[in-house]
Amino acid sequence: MMMDDDALDRALAALPLDEPPADLQQRILARTVYAPRAALRGWELWVIAIAAALVGWFGWVLLSAPHAQERITDTLARVIAVSGLDSMNTVLWLAAGVSATWWIVQLSVPDRRRRIEVR
Amino acid sequence: MGLALAVEPPPVAAAPVEDQALIAATLAGNGEAFGELVGRYQRAVYHLAARTLRDSTEAEDATQEAFFKAYRALHSFRPGAKFSTWIFTICYRLCCDRLARRKRLSGDELPDRADPGAGPALLAERNDEARRLRAAIDQLPEKYRTVITLYHLQGKQYDEIATVLNLPLGTVKTHLFRAKEQLRKALTT
Repeated sequence: MMMDDDALDRALAALPLDEPPADLQQRILARTVYAPRAALRGWELWVIAIAAALVGWFGWVLLSAPHAQERITDTLARVIAVSGLDSMNTVLWLAAGVSATWWIVQLSVPDRRRRIEVR
Repeated sequence: MGLALAVEPPPVAAAPVEDQALIAATLAGNGEAFGELVGRYQRAVYHLAARTLRDSTEAEDATQEAFFKAYRALHSFRPGAKFSTWIFTICYRLCCDRLARRKRLSGDELPDRADPGAGPALLAERNDEARRLRAAIDQLPEKYRTVITLYHLQGKQYDEIATVLNLPLGTVKTHLFRAKEQLRKALTT
């Protein structure tokens, strides 16, 4: 006997869905919302990789130039002389400045605006 | 005839507004909202994958992959669209990829594998009418099988089925007509 269209529709509507494994939802959530966040995003990795490649290339260009070692040593000595880093006084003042900055950064200044809002 | 099966409505008829709210909450960082979406649709998505692939292990993988892709692309979900149609579309494309890969590996015209779950329990339930219908659906060619599965999941919303399958509406109706014809023949006693 041939089945009519309505009977087939009813049978299809009544057909139970396949039962997924009990832990499927947990596995899906573990891969999505509970997945550990990556420390860096994709584009950040690209930027870092490109920057590293550029630094590497620039370093290679510098080091492969003729008399590279002497030139680099000369340049560094000139920079130290011009900036005054060969003087003990300058180095001491620089150290004091860096130290003071570090201590100021460590101080926790109360947020005045927030206190006003709370009141 | 007389397929008097336990009536259980397809669980896909959730209100789109609620889905939209859950999507918005997920995008705002509420993981439980996505858990609710998964709970709501995982069974239907798994069913679509299982019927299309006819392999429970691959269906599990495809379901996981579909939700993973949906989660990553949730920000691109078009407001006003139906989440069910979207997730079914993702799942169906993944199933097509898997079928194509299977075809490449095996070289079969229609690469289908027997479900490894078929064992003594299945044999014992051979007389079960739901099993008969399911077996008849499994015998359909892939394009008819998917249409009839989506017809089961989405109800009579042909346009949604056409969206998922990326087929013209007329083709969906033709496929459905032929699928039903074949099912009727298979179920005729």
